[in-house]
Amino acid sequence: MRIPRKEELENLQKQYKTDRKIGQVLGVPAYLVAYWRRKKKIPKYALPKYSYAKIKELWETYGDDRKAGKELGISKAAFYKWRRKYILLEKPKVLKLAQLEFTLPGPRGGNNGGLTIAQKGLALKAGKNSVQVGEIVYVEPDLAMSHDNAGLVIKQFRQIGVSKVWNPDKIVIPLDHRAPAESEKTAEAHRSIRLFVKEQGIKNFYDIKEGICHQVVIEKGHILPGELAVGTDSHTTSYGCLGALSTGIGATEMAAVWATGKIWLRVPESLKLTINGSLPLGVYAKDVILYIIGQLTVEGANYKSVEFYGDTVSNMSVSERFTLANLSMEMGGKFAIVPFDNVTKKYLKGRTKKAYQPIFADENATYENEYEYNISRLEPQVACPHNVDNVKPVDEVKGMKIDQVLLGSCTNGRIDDLEIAARLLKGKKVHPDTRMLVLPGSKSIYLESLKRGIIKTFLEANCVVLNPGCGPCLGAHEGLLAKGEKCLATTNRNFKGRMGSAESEVYLASPATAAATAIRGEISDPRDFLKK
Amino acid sequence: MLKEIKGRVWKFGDNIDTDAIYPGKCLPIIDPQEMAKHALEGYDKDFPNKIQKGDIILGGSNFGCGSSREQAATSLKYAGISCVIAKSFSRIFFRNAINQGLALVQSKEAYDLIKQGEVITVDYARGEIITENTKIGFPPLPEIVMGILEDGGLIEHLKKSLKK
Repeated sequence: MRIPRKEELENLQKQYKTDRKIGQVLGVPAYLVAYWRRKKKIPKYALPKYSYAKIKELWETYGDDRKAGKELGISKAAFYKWRRKYILLEKPKVLKLAQLEFTLPGPRGGNNGGLTIAQKGLALKAGKNSVQVGEIVYVEPDLAMSHDNAGLVIKQFRQIGVSKVWNPDKIVIPLDHRAPAESEKTAEAHRSIRLFVKEQGIKNFYDIKEGICHQVVIEKGHILPGELAVGTDSHTTSYGCLGALSTGIGATEMAAVWATGKIWLRVPESLKLTINGSLPLGVYAKDVILYIIGQLTVEGANYKSVEFYGDTVSNMSVSERFTLANLSMEMGGKFAIVPFDNVTKKYLKGRTKKAYQPIFADENATYENEYEYNISRLEPQVACPHNVDNVKPVDEVKGMKIDQVLLGSCTNGRIDDLEIAARLLKGKKVHPDTRMLVLPGSKSIYLESLKRGIIKTFLEANCVVLNPGCGPCLGAHEGLLAKGEKCLATTNRNFKGRMGSAESEVYLASPATAAATAIRGEISDPRDFLKK
Repeated sequence: MLKEIKGRVWKFGDNIDTDAIYPGKCLPIIDPQEMAKHALEGYDKDFPNKIQKGDIILGGSNFGCGSSREQAATSLKYAGISCVIAKSFSRIFFRNAINQGLALVQSKEAYDLIKQGEVITVDYARGEIITENTKIGFPPLPEIVMGILEDGGLIEHLKKSLKK
């Protein structure tokens, strides 16, 4: 055979890289190719080398072989090989995600002597100057909230052997989970609650007409900045949107609170989340908090108090802050607090006559961890089955067929949520193969939506508007899912079987993503509709 | 002091949520015996029939995450589960279990050392899980928590303290 010329050999090398591969093409052994190469003074093909620092950096940025590989122009498998070589086997807990301009300062340690909001609030309630993280305090809550499960609380309360509740004015009971009663059992529970509130002189009872408990609590001014609330619902953390310390407990524990007015609480570690940047088009508070949960994981804030800071948060309405505090539960948060400011003050005006004392963290407060996010390039997010931290940008899941869209819940059932969805649906129809349910968060939100013509828009678009309540969010009634069905919801949990069949799937997203999805009948990017 | 707990182990993964332990559709039930018939039904429909009295649950991290429904803990207890061991517990489930008098052990090490179906002993007095091959230590629960657990739950604990 003819010996290839220098240029020919160089071209072959460009194309096939190694001597072995060139040899295969020419049908000669690799050593012969190497011999020709040396003769023609062509250097050996050098495999690109990536340093440990480079691979580590990319791995910590993306936490995904495909995405990190793309950055280097190599395959998913090739990146994995490099990563394995450098023993970077564990998936990073928090991603740097440079392309979103997210930065992570990491733990700032030590005890600086200052107190967090959780420490100050609990110290105040316990009548102490200061409390340590990990300390157990006995405190009297300012608010004890229960919903339909007050039926179970009453049953447990009767067993304790105390005849009167400690303070009927601090107990609030809205009926919302199965309202109106979907079964005889619930009807009995509701009846026992109606009798009990009369017997005990509990004035703040809201029968099925009023709306979702957490929404009712803040609308009616039952919780104020700096106050402490416990509720027999995990999403009681929501009241942190007004700068309150609030958390979920079980029914038996609530019975004990009703009887004694006291509860033991462990002073939690605190996380400081600073969110900066203005929300891009089609991106909302829901997307921000879903993204953060995706980063910190479903137990990233377990037992911890989360404090929110930054200009994004300052510019958010109470409704948007509600969404942040509400979903912080889904990373295990004990409290989730947006410190009091003018936005809070304005919201409370006219809702309460009571004096309140906001609590702020000390400048030198000690946090277990501090995270900073810049969300100015964030995309709409979707939490995929069956964990809330399985969060992906809408791009990665768009096109997936959806049987039911659910707009509502304590997470996203407020007027701004309904309004943005209506804006997308105006003059359009829900896809014929999809059904869309709308549950306004409360009676007052329902009334306001009527006034603004939002309900009309929904009905004209073929949505089904249900009464304010929780219903389908927890698979209680009104819109459960069949085997194999998929639902995109603006709610807060996508656990297996949450909304019906164990073989159904729930995707979580913002109201705008929900509306876009309803129109196309498949998961869709709301920006497609907002740009037009 | 709590007695030694001996039982057969059911091993689970991470993030076993309250919908898996006790589905939302069962919430209107208030009789604990009836709740027991639905324990872990969301995870495995047949599970309530598989449980034998005294069985122990071994979970991964964040066991019991999700809802504040205490029926998750109550149903396990009345189904005969004697103890739940996990790498970590979700906050509300932890409180609910203690308040129902359901013994809990938090141990990061136990998970990898104990196999599905193994019979183990949990000794609260010594703070040890004893398996066929090894002993695994675990830290004691806070005094207040232990007090409630030893009285058999919060209601009994309260009754006792209100009598004083």
